[in-house]
Amino acid sequence: MVDIAAPRTAAVSTSAHSVRYRSPMRWVILAILLALLAFTLAPFVLALLNAFKPGTDYVRGGPLSLPTYLQFDSIAKFWTLADYSRKLLNSTIISAAVSILAVIISLFNAYALGIGRVRGSVVILALLLLGTMVPQESIIYPIYWMAKSVGLYDTQIAVIIIFAVLQSAFGTYLLSSVMSTFPREILEAAEIDGATRWQILIRVVMPIMSPTLMVLGTFFFIWTWNEFLIPVVMLVSNNNQTVSVAMGLTRGQNLSDPTLQAAAGLLGILPTVIFFLIFQRTLTRGVIAGAVK
Amino acid sequence: MTALPRLALVAATAFSLMAGTALSQDTFNIWWFEGADSAQGITWTEALEELKAAHPDVTVNFEQKTFDQMQQSGSMILNSAEAPDILEYNKGNATAGLVSSQGLLTNLDEAFTAEGWDKFLNEGQLVLSRYNELGVYGSGSIWGISTYGEYVSAYYNIDAFEKAGVNVPTTLEELPAAFDTFKAQGVVPLALGGASTGGQHLLASLAYTKADDTWIQNYQGLKEPLDGAPYLYAAQTLTDWLAKGYITKDSTGMNDDDAALQFTSGQSPVYVSGTWNLGNFSANIKDFKWGQFVIPTPKFSVGSTGNLWVIPKGSKNPALAKEFISLLLSTKYQTEQANNGGVSFGADAAQVTNPVGANASAVFKQIADKQGLGFYPDWPVPGFYDVLNQKDTGLLQGTLTPEQFVEEIKEVYDDAQMSQ
Amino acid sequence: MAVDSVSVGRHRRGYYLYLIPGFIGLLLIVIGPQIANFVLSFTAWKGVGTPRWIGGQNYQRLLTDDQFWGSMHNTLWYMLSMTAIPVLIGLVLASLLFDYVRDQFGEKLSSFFRAAFYLPQILPLTVAGVLWGWILNPVGVANAILKMVGLGAFAQNWLGDATYALPAVSLVIVWIQVGYCLVVFMAGLSRIDPSLYEAAQLDGAGWWQRLLSITIPMLAPEIFVVVLTTLIHALKVFAPVFVLTQGGPDDATLAPSYLTYYHFFATQRVGYAAAVSTVQMILTLGLAAIFIWYQTRQAAREA
Repeated sequence: MVDIAAPRTAAVSTSAHSVRYRSPMRWVILAILLALLAFTLAPFVLALLNAFKPGTDYVRGGPLSLPTYLQFDSIAKFWTLADYSRKLLNSTIISAAVSILAVIISLFNAYALGIGRVRGSVVILALLLLGTMVPQESIIYPIYWMAKSVGLYDTQIAVIIIFAVLQSAFGTYLLSSVMSTFPREILEAAEIDGATRWQILIRVVMPIMSPTLMVLGTFFFIWTWNEFLIPVVMLVSNNNQTVSVAMGLTRGQNLSDPTLQAAAGLLGILPTVIFFLIFQRTLTRGVIAGAVK
Repeated sequence: MTALPRLALVAATAFSLMAGTALSQDTFNIWWFEGADSAQGITWTEALEELKAAHPDVTVNFEQKTFDQMQQSGSMILNSAEAPDILEYNKGNATAGLVSSQGLLTNLDEAFTAEGWDKFLNEGQLVLSRYNELGVYGSGSIWGISTYGEYVSAYYNIDAFEKAGVNVPTTLEELPAAFDTFKAQGVVPLALGGASTGGQHLLASLAYTKADDTWIQNYQGLKEPLDGAPYLYAAQTLTDWLAKGYITKDSTGMNDDDAALQFTSGQSPVYVSGTWNLGNFSANIKDFKWGQFVIPTPKFSVGSTGNLWVIPKGSKNPALAKEFISLLLSTKYQTEQANNGGVSFGADAAQVTNPVGANASAVFKQIADKQGLGFYPDWPVPGFYDVLNQKDTGLLQGTLTPEQFVEEIKEVYDDAQMSQ
Repeated sequence: MAVDSVSVGRHRRGYYLYLIPGFIGLLLIVIGPQIANFVLSFTAWKGVGTPRWIGGQNYQRLLTDDQFWGSMHNTLWYMLSMTAIPVLIGLVLASLLFDYVRDQFGEKLSSFFRAAFYLPQILPLTVAGVLWGWILNPVGVANAILKMVGLGAFAQNWLGDATYALPAVSLVIVWIQVGYCLVVFMAGLSRIDPSLYEAAQLDGAGWWQRLLSITIPMLAPEIFVVVLTTLIHALKVFAPVFVLTQGGPDDATLAPSYLTYYHFFATQRVGYAAAVSTVQMILTLGLAAIFIWYQTRQAAREA
């Protein structure tokens, strides 16, 4: 089964490669990689180019032209139009809440399945996996009706619950396969010390799994942040909406405003990039570290 | 629960209930999705300010919505407690018609006479406000009020026309002739956003030149299986223009923004699109003089009265909602709208100083006075918008012949017509 | 081989408690709505008002719906672009970055590349759609670059031409998906004993050979997870189609999820949409089941 957080037996060190043969081929490879990089980053560059471009430049030269002067109007306009600080806050709250909740649910499920090895694990896991397979459009109407009847329509809580469940499907799958290889000796030792199941979970399993949990949480945050179908349908008031929904503001019934779109694009990208840069460490550490403590 | 907490709970509930009912008459929730920069957006904001000033005790909550959201979840929102006191809603069977037939809107028949709106709007302007029990427009009660107009016309580069010695076409034959002159000079005459609305609007504009009253009424009212003749003419013309190089083959990948760009950057002298471009064009085109002309037609053009103001059934402040509509219909704000570059039908021509707004309103009057508003081609059938886009690109690409094009849209149209 | 876990925790039954939150969520959000969806598929409904029972009519209609079959056909392409290609590229890139680049250029550069290649994954799709629209425009960046390097003849109407639209959308999908595969594979690589590589290196095996004979077999668990999850996503693909082409031109890029969305929200034929999405769900389930069964059989064979 998958051991994504399994310990590395040797640290990454140059001593492992004692003969460092620097082949000239490496420049060719580097060139290829850089070309791929350019391809990967092209859209980001475009957003950057057009976000600060005045409207008159755009109507004259289109998206590729260099701005004759920089203006921050589009960015400012979009920020106030979309009440962007609010949207950022909402997205952050929802994504963070989902991330935490989904990790907890996944952990609980995986604890029962991977470590507890309850009867019918395979069937249960299969059922939980259903959550990954369900197309979102098919559940929206029923969920809308349910939420409306309990007064949770147009609330962030509803969206948080929905995504926590959906994300935890994947999380359970991943964690349970990792936890099924959890070293038994530690669990037995704790048990002998008189720990209850709950205490074992909190004091023994969680700390050891924490790198993987952090990685999972980061993934959940990013995936939830980018969702738009369910938020668009379930969140009505502007005060509740998220960043992905805000993009729709740049497109009217018949028109779109390209420099505004670029500004929106840039503002939409920045938080995730910043978040990613911060948590890149976690991702790296999470997957490499994790030796049995 | 012991006595004290229980008492507190009851008190809290009672208080919040009280506050709730008190508040609901003191708040006024209004939504619209027209852009903040558009003539409508600006005018409506001004009118809202006046409403606020007239009712200082009321908390006015405005939310800027997006078209996408309203189009997609509009009916779901109206069917819930989250609906506002008044909102802008898309006109047509599939939108306003649907929700009115489901009892989600307030009937405005009484208000129409009581508030004096009948002085500002004639029957022609009410066609899209009326929906019957099946949600089909044209007859029945009044469910929404429109306060502006829109239409599709040809934007043209005045300087380019002068330089090429081309006059503004007044007959349908003069149009391709004008294109030909430009083509001979190595210019692509017509900018077209084939991947989205532009294609179907151009097509419809051409089709409507062959339409008569009966055709339009049957078409929009979903009364009969489709008589494809006007569309066949349009499709053939379009294919012809494509072959002659009046439109580029690239147009299928271009959306309206790109086509607009082609026009505003001076590459193509003609661009067929709607009045929603007026804001952008007047703000940003500085390099050349531009204007609009109606695509020469015996009677019908693509156009209609604008989106509707509707009052949800559960609106807690219908009085203020009606007041707002009255404000917008007043001469003062109609003139204001024209001065903001919008298409008004009740403006005081003497007071309109903005040439763009004056011209647009005049053109609209021209079309409306002869009852020539043919409405939009995608209205009859829900989802037809996407179908037309798709088949259009097929036509422009050459994967569909004009006959196949008509056949395929007829299939979808007839299917909807019969399963009514 | 499973250690008897009865020794961990006195009653195995106690563990069931931990499944409760997850299960309640599952019932409310997944199973309940799916059942409701299934029931809806036998009705005609406009989203408001009361549904009208029509039996199997929706399914009958589905069988002759060109759009539906077209979307199924397109799904095969989407499986390529969401699974096969990103997995392959991901494997090569992961091995390249982890093995070659780290060796030749150091850890920092390798990490930098990995972070950069992952960026498309974090971009909200609504944003990506607009940006890629600009690039793939007939008068956009892609064609401009082609013209610049003299390959102007290859300039196409990428998103508007029925022949090129599907490959173009697939390209964007690959762009998005590679990052995910890359990160998972690189994570997996870090658990492979480096001495295996050293031994191979000493035996004279080049990077490519090391990739084929060591990396890929050792990464089997990660490959399994990635292929399964991306296959499921391929069947559910919605966002790229929604933002780039709306299923067009002329249904060339239509995906089942977009078709259901179209009927759920545009035509308001909710019953029909429910039928299409039920079929979609069954297909996804079937595919996943087959895949897992095949994989467990492989694993058993190897054990």
